[in-house]
Amino acid sequence: MEIFKKYGFIILISTGIIAGVLFYSLNVPRSREANFIERGIMASFAPILKPAAQVSRFFEDIWDGYISLIDEHKENLRLREEIRDLNSRLVEANEAVQANLRLTRLLDMKSNINAQSLTASVVGEDVTSWFKTMIIDRGSSSGIRQGMAVIAADGIAGQTVKVGASTSRVLLMTDHASGIAAVIQRSRARGVVKGKGEGLCSMVFTTRDEDVKVGDQVVSSGIGGVFPKGLPIGEVTMVKRGEYGIFQTVTIRPVVNFSHLEEVLVVLRGGYE
Amino acid sequence: MLFIATVILAVIFQSSVLPVYIADPFKPDLLLIIVVYLALRGSFKFGSPLSWLLGLIKDVLSGLYLGLNAFTFLIIFLVIKNVADRLYAESSFLFVVTVLVATLASATINLLLLVMLTNVPGIAYSITSGLIPHVLTTAFAASLATLFPRFSRGNEAL
Repeated sequence: MEIFKKYGFIILISTGIIAGVLFYSLNVPRSREANFIERGIMASFAPILKPAAQVSRFFEDIWDGYISLIDEHKENLRLREEIRDLNSRLVEANEAVQANLRLTRLLDMKSNINAQSLTASVVGEDVTSWFKTMIIDRGSSSGIRQGMAVIAADGIAGQTVKVGASTSRVLLMTDHASGIAAVIQRSRARGVVKGKGEGLCSMVFTTRDEDVKVGDQVVSSGIGGVFPKGLPIGEVTMVKRGEYGIFQTVTIRPVVNFSHLEEVLVVLRGGYE
Repeated sequence: MLFIATVILAVIFQSSVLPVYIADPFKPDLLLIIVVYLALRGSFKFGSPLSWLLGLIKDVLSGLYLGLNAFTFLIIFLVIKNVADRLYAESSFLFVVTVLVATLASATINLLLLVMLTNVPGIAYSITSGLIPHVLTTAFAASLATLFPRFSRGNEAL
């Protein structure tokens, strides 16, 4: 008994180890089959394991969802940034295409003019509604002088009136103070195109016996030396011949859309200080 | 500095920003609004040369006739200043009404000067045909100006 008291713990441990080895070695040949202990344990844990697995899966889903949400949020932000970037590139590309088209048309017009010319951009418009002028980004430092012809891709726009060092004011052909010597392209009837405001012009000093019809094209006559000959001015929209008087009233719609004018050509010819 | 910045902003808006988005008759006269503000709130000594100068700026950016709006603005300033002491100048409503009347007066003086001193047939029709929308949009712009905190505080510096 004394020995058990002294070495009891060691004996117990050793017995346990030996029993464990024995139990293991006895079960090795039948390792593929569940014995009654295994079945008992499995049976007793089965009702708990299933809901536990479900709960675990539920929390796993939540966690995965949270993690993927964070990832998706990040991806969302990245995609938004990408879309913004692509949109701005698209707008820039569209602008470039539009500018290209406008400038190509302007170049076509430039090739029709037998004089040196300069491209300018429109940077401002008249601050009042009853005068029709605009500001371009070229001035005397670029060789512009007062009284030079200003031409858009479609035809005549006006002429320079006030020239600063780096900007100039252009009197549009629709202003009341504007006057351009012109002819009807078809019948060669002459007159002077004057501005009427409201985006329209009238052809004055055209005698009533001259052949003018609605739809006729009006071009510059070249008289006066400011505008090159044959540049488009507009189209006749109304012809009125009164019972009396020696002139007829001819209304013209300009070919140039002044509200959408962005680039113009200044013909570096003539002008005055 | 704030005043100069306001004038520069008004000029930029009126010549380069607003014409892109709104049709011709609906362009408000922002410089005239500043002149009316000067006349109601500012001093005579400071406001009269400044009004003339603002008109001159408008002339540089409009039409062919330098001095036309300078003279008009000066007249408008002097008339409003003359009666401003008898009015409740702090009132926003009065400001908008004064801008409305001043816009009408400006167009009338411009028209008279153009008819008397220049040869621009048809200008009378152009001015009168777009006058109502012009007056209304200017008054609307003036009513927006009254929303600025600086307006309600007044301008002691002027």
